[in-house]
Amino acid sequence: MKKINLNFIYIFVAMALLQSCTKDLDVISEDALVLSSDVLYSSEGGYKKALAGVYGNFSLTGTNGSDSSFLQGIDAGTSQFGRCMWYLQNLTTDEVVWSYENDGGVRELQRNVWSDQNPILLGMFSRTMASVALSNEFLRQSTPEKVAARGVSAAESANIAFYRNEVRVLRAMSYYYMLDLFGKAPFISENNPVNVAGPEYSKLQLFNYIQSELTTVIPNLKTARTNEYGRLDQAVAKMILAKLYLNAEVYIGAPKYTECLAMCTDLIGNGYTLNTNYLRNFNAENHTSPEMIFTLQSDGVVTQNYGATTVMINGQVGSLEGNGADFGVGGWGGALRLRKQFVQKFDGNMFSTDRRNTIFSGTRPIEIANISLQGQGYILKKYSNKNNAGAVGVNSTFVDTDFPLFRLADVYLMYAEAQMRLSGATNVSNTTNANATSIGYINALRMRANNGTMAGNVTQSAVTLAFILDERSRELHWEGHRRQDLIRFDKYTGGSYNWAWKGNIAGGTSISDNLKLFPIPAPSLAANKNLTQNPGY
Amino acid sequence: MKTIYSKLLILLFLLPLSILAQSTISGTVTDSKTNQAISGVNVKVKGSTNGTATDFDGKFRLSNVKKGDALTFSYIGYKDISITYNEQKGLNVTMEEEFSQLQEVQIQVGYGTVKKKDLTGSTTTIAAKDFNKGANVTVENLLNGRVAGLTINTSGAPGSGSQIRIRGGSSLSASNDPLIVIDGLPISNDNGTGGVSILASINPATIESFTVLKDASASAIYGVRASNGVIIITTKKGGKTLSVDYNFQYGLGRLIKTTDVFDGDSFRALINSKVPSRVASLGTANTDWQRAIYRETEYTDNNISLKGNLFGFIPSRLTLGRTFQEGLRLTNEFNRNTIGVSLNPSFLNNHLKIKLNANYSNETNRFAGGVEGSAIRFDPTQPIYQAGSPFEGFFEYYKMNGNVVETLPNSPRNPVAQLMQTRDLGLNNRLFGNFELDYKFHFFPALRAVVNVGFDESFGERSFSRATGIVASGSTNNNIPYGNRSFSQTLRNNKLIDAYFVYTKSFSDLNVDVTAGYSYQTFSGRNFNSNNLLDPNVSANPLGYNITQIPTKNVLLAYFGRANFSYKDKYLLSLSARQDNSSRFRKENRTVWFPAVSFAWKLKDEFFKSNKTLSDLKLRLGYGVTGQQDFDDPNAYLEKYNTGNGTSQYFFGSTPTPIAVPARYSPDIRWEQTITYNGGIDFGLFENRINGSVDVFYKDSRDLIVDGVVPDGSNFSNRAFQNVGSFTTKGVELGINADVVKTNNFNWNVNFNFTKFERRVQSLLNGADLATGDGFAGTGGSGQVHRVGFTPASFLLFKQLYSNGQPIEGAYADLNADGLINDQDRYIYRNSDPDATFGFASNLTYKNIDFSFNLRASVGNRVLNAVNASRAQYNNLTIDSQLSNIPTSVQSTNFNTTSNVVFSDLYVENGSFLRMDNITLGYTFPNWLEGKASLRFFTGVQNAFLITKYSGLDPEITGGVDNTIYPRQRQLLFGVNVKF
Repeated sequence: MKKINLNFIYIFVAMALLQSCTKDLDVISEDALVLSSDVLYSSEGGYKKALAGVYGNFSLTGTNGSDSSFLQGIDAGTSQFGRCMWYLQNLTTDEVVWSYENDGGVRELQRNVWSDQNPILLGMFSRTMASVALSNEFLRQSTPEKVAARGVSAAESANIAFYRNEVRVLRAMSYYYMLDLFGKAPFISENNPVNVAGPEYSKLQLFNYIQSELTTVIPNLKTARTNEYGRLDQAVAKMILAKLYLNAEVYIGAPKYTECLAMCTDLIGNGYTLNTNYLRNFNAENHTSPEMIFTLQSDGVVTQNYGATTVMINGQVGSLEGNGADFGVGGWGGALRLRKQFVQKFDGNMFSTDRRNTIFSGTRPIEIANISLQGQGYILKKYSNKNNAGAVGVNSTFVDTDFPLFRLADVYLMYAEAQMRLSGATNVSNTTNANATSIGYINALRMRANNGTMAGNVTQSAVTLAFILDERSRELHWEGHRRQDLIRFDKYTGGSYNWAWKGNIAGGTSISDNLKLFPIPAPSLAANKNLTQNPGY
Repeated sequence: MKTIYSKLLILLFLLPLSILAQSTISGTVTDSKTNQAISGVNVKVKGSTNGTATDFDGKFRLSNVKKGDALTFSYIGYKDISITYNEQKGLNVTMEEEFSQLQEVQIQVGYGTVKKKDLTGSTTTIAAKDFNKGANVTVENLLNGRVAGLTINTSGAPGSGSQIRIRGGSSLSASNDPLIVIDGLPISNDNGTGGVSILASINPATIESFTVLKDASASAIYGVRASNGVIIITTKKGGKTLSVDYNFQYGLGRLIKTTDVFDGDSFRALINSKVPSRVASLGTANTDWQRAIYRETEYTDNNISLKGNLFGFIPSRLTLGRTFQEGLRLTNEFNRNTIGVSLNPSFLNNHLKIKLNANYSNETNRFAGGVEGSAIRFDPTQPIYQAGSPFEGFFEYYKMNGNVVETLPNSPRNPVAQLMQTRDLGLNNRLFGNFELDYKFHFFPALRAVVNVGFDESFGERSFSRATGIVASGSTNNNIPYGNRSFSQTLRNNKLIDAYFVYTKSFSDLNVDVTAGYSYQTFSGRNFNSNNLLDPNVSANPLGYNITQIPTKNVLLAYFGRANFSYKDKYLLSLSARQDNSSRFRKENRTVWFPAVSFAWKLKDEFFKSNKTLSDLKLRLGYGVTGQQDFDDPNAYLEKYNTGNGTSQYFFGSTPTPIAVPARYSPDIRWEQTITYNGGIDFGLFENRINGSVDVFYKDSRDLIVDGVVPDGSNFSNRAFQNVGSFTTKGVELGINADVVKTNNFNWNVNFNFTKFERRVQSLLNGADLATGDGFAGTGGSGQVHRVGFTPASFLLFKQLYSNGQPIEGAYADLNADGLINDQDRYIYRNSDPDATFGFASNLTYKNIDFSFNLRASVGNRVLNAVNASRAQYNNLTIDSQLSNIPTSVQSTNFNTTSNVVFSDLYVENGSFLRMDNITLGYTFPNWLEGKASLRFFTGVQNAFLITKYSGLDPEITGGVDNTIYPRQRQLLFGVNVKF
């Protein structure tokens, strides 16, 4: 009997021991790549990794390769920042069509019949606002008090001050794109806790915020061209300001051409020079081009993403030509083709030696009667995954080519436009009031395009605002500017300028003015009760 | 973990082995009509826990019996027998079958059992003798179609997992899989790598019974994991007399049907008429690619089960199993070797009972990826093999660049070569089981203490290889295929310790049964994945790709209790409650109570006592709350940063830096809860020859864990897990079992069940739609949505316009009349939930012949035929660089452009079906070897036929969108069963 009783004592002891398991409920991550904020930021290089996260959100989609995404319910590639931006700024215009209209959202965008259900719009909205959230988190985690408490070295602490200012510029840049594309945004700063819905900021509020934020931060950034590759400097902030001012009439109904001109002048004086070879701005070594102000990164090995350059270079490959080898990629069977109106921008003898004209026609018809037929319409050979020496990138899908977000040539043309508008030219006038400086900048681009010759040079009498719009397309096509330019020139909506498949008609037709702004995506609108839908949606 | 091991050690000290000699009785139990031995009969000394069960020959040995003891014999479906022990030497007992009213059967209800007749919740038990016959490689198929409210959808891949749903599930974003409990051990649905599915490592031959707890009044005892119902699996126990049961089955399988595409000749004609410019690309062969990727299969299943009294005092069972099943896809194989041991000794005058169940499985697989898509589209005029091909003789599209073989981009790859040139091998070793001590207090026999320790550990490996150079399919760099070699490993651990007390007491008319206890369980694991070692970019990458992942542990700690009251054996009341604590939620949200109450009233005894026709009538009412904690981001409440892997880095200067990004996080996330109301009637007629149950239920799932939208900019993603939304399910179930004929030589039993339920989303965050489902055409487009007022995952499509009955390409109704056709014109058009499902099983025996079959039917379920939606358009002939085949259904629509029509409601089809799962015919020699053994031969057909109007391969798919499936094979079976 004693034995039995003893056994019972064991059982009760065992049960009592179980009580101690309560503390086991406080689990922590044991994975080397999943860290708490304190562990991350206290570790060597932790702040820089987090900074890479904020920058990386413009290039990468997730932490686990090209198929991973921070965002949910959207295909990873379809929510890459540069690609969404490119889709909205270029695919909705006269410059390009995407053959595979089954791909979510593409059909509606390129036929100008989009709705608030469009996944690419959701990708853009959410990706850009995720950038705001990542910036805010970095700013919360990098206050001097927190940095001090985490035992960061003095040298790194000094760097962190720069990181903070750069992150503020990235946040302002995100709001700039929200302003341009959606005309509004939920406004959230580092002072808001996580999971709080931001109030809606109007165009004017966003404009004022971006202007004041960048103006405040600029003196505390590294000067132009002195920061390491991948990080921004004063020129990037100034470029955003210049664009904000150039489009101020669209954004807030008030011209800011004086401010734009000043900003462009400043930028031009920052030591950037045109790359003597136009196409070296679009190849696998373009991040070394002396003309680049800021790029979105892509690398076939370590920065893999289905971003704008991977899409454009694979998409450029013609279905009939199978010319992937020309660009160092496999290609996607003729995904991208040109609309007739863009091709015609290069009509005329003046462009016979223009290197910006990389259009290939072969036996292709210029008209695209059926978007799904990849053999219709000309193709482009602008971007490449080859380096300056012609060697192909290591990876034939993920290119080494960065997306040229801001470059000097854009500043030249912005300068000329701002000068002309400041001198009285308007969208409806044929005024030829470009001054010698502006003509000089335009011809600098023309000479570069014509291998240093003056074959393509223009005189003042040829330079109207309409010329500037076309010249911007010739110089800057497929670089994420076209929609903004067409809107500024009042050619995007309405029927004054129609292009193939505009308004869902092969020949093009007038579209409603409300399309100048994209709708707030339905999920984003539903999630934040402070937001209101744009008119007409 | 150390703590739990030390606790286990202490429990091992609790193994005092003392044996006291007592008088012993032995005997045989046979069926009164057939004279066949009945195995598994419970033999007990009345009023004690002393008991045993008969072996395969119906023999039993029971020790510790005193003169005057009343011996009771009970078995599922038979009338109980009581015999007084009078020091008989041998006892031959005959039992009379009781028309299936399983009166005295003990039903597992979680932490104990309840007599079938005293059940108050909605519970169905299927015991071994009623299992589905035939080639059932995975255990769940033993009861497919047999339980009202339970649907099981198994893919065609051998050993593959099934989608199991009880009453349609209770979640939107979280898991809808029921909790599976094996011998008291709740298992995880996470299978790790190498194996095919979590249930594939279990040998079906070891299963004694399944109990399905359908309503919350039954399942709430499992608390935070019980919302989707619970399936309790009980394995066979040890026997005292030596018996051997050997089963062998052999099967030959083949493909039934292919998707209708053009054959070689008609494809040539089609290209001639549609794209004459590409005639030169045509080949001269006639290849049926869909036949070419499949083969005739073999299946062998060997099981031997030994029972006996080990060392004279340990009733034991040893089951060895070996299953080999070839998949239809070339190279696909499933191998399973299992060892199952069960030891059930009793000590201290049966006051201490020990159960040890240990199951080891060694599963080896060769996987074959889905190539149905490429087989459907591959040019039928091209051959499978081509002389001189550098790809081991397989026809492929390629060109020579000097001496270098380059594949052509955007060209399909030979699907036969894809299968034959891939070696994708998996291994999964798993050990699981439990050790239970059940002690009845010596001086307080009304009280029992039970300690159950469970363990489940699996180790999986998978290696994938495609050789460089000679394999065209897979990854290429600059069109040079570089092959694929990758390796992954997983480890999964599940440890459980339960301890509870059971108090049973009768007070004149009142019987009380109280259970109270404690449960602690942990789930942990580790994963390793090498990624593709042949990727030329790996060596160039300083971080490499090798990734070890450690999923955060899940710890569950619970207190539970249940009280059953029976008054005058007419009024039954059951109360239960469980307090769960889960590591998946933060401290403030961690603890939760799940209560349940149910009541039953034996109307037969109250009102119809003398009615001869009505043999049973019982009303049941139940209410309970259950939870759900199983969702994709198990630690969403933890603030954490994810660090980028080797390919997710950002350059600073020339230094790539892994990005560190805060993960989206949901500090306030809590469990889901489902409130269930259930009303049911159990009935029996003609001495229960016809018996059954009707249940009506209403489930209200609230605080659903939804991966829902968050205000942009407020979190680190556009969505985060949050408790928003609710949905309801209402339904009715009917199960009937009838002994149509019951005579000495001829018996016919049928079983019928019917289920109808309707799910409705009641609320979502701010009423917003939630897109769901995979894109089935192109990148990023989905055709399904969760919308308030509709069934979850309803189809969201365009309304097709017709002219004279012929669909007009690209013409849709402008439902919002804004002059534009865009996504706002899509509307909810049906869903994949069936209007009703049916199951019908028939078992017929005539003398020594047995004949049985199982039918299943589903009515009103809709299928989106994505094969047609994304391929049956003429533009697909030339969409790749090479010519591609398309479904012949294009001839009825004459559609040209996929993107014009892909989201048309035209492609939603009626998926109603009637399927004959199995037909078996057997013959038994009952007195083989002069009566020492019995021998049964049988033959059968698995998946005998399918009747449906659906135009695709098979309407029985999961998720509602048919994007090609692994086809289910039809098998011809032969088998033999020997019992000694």
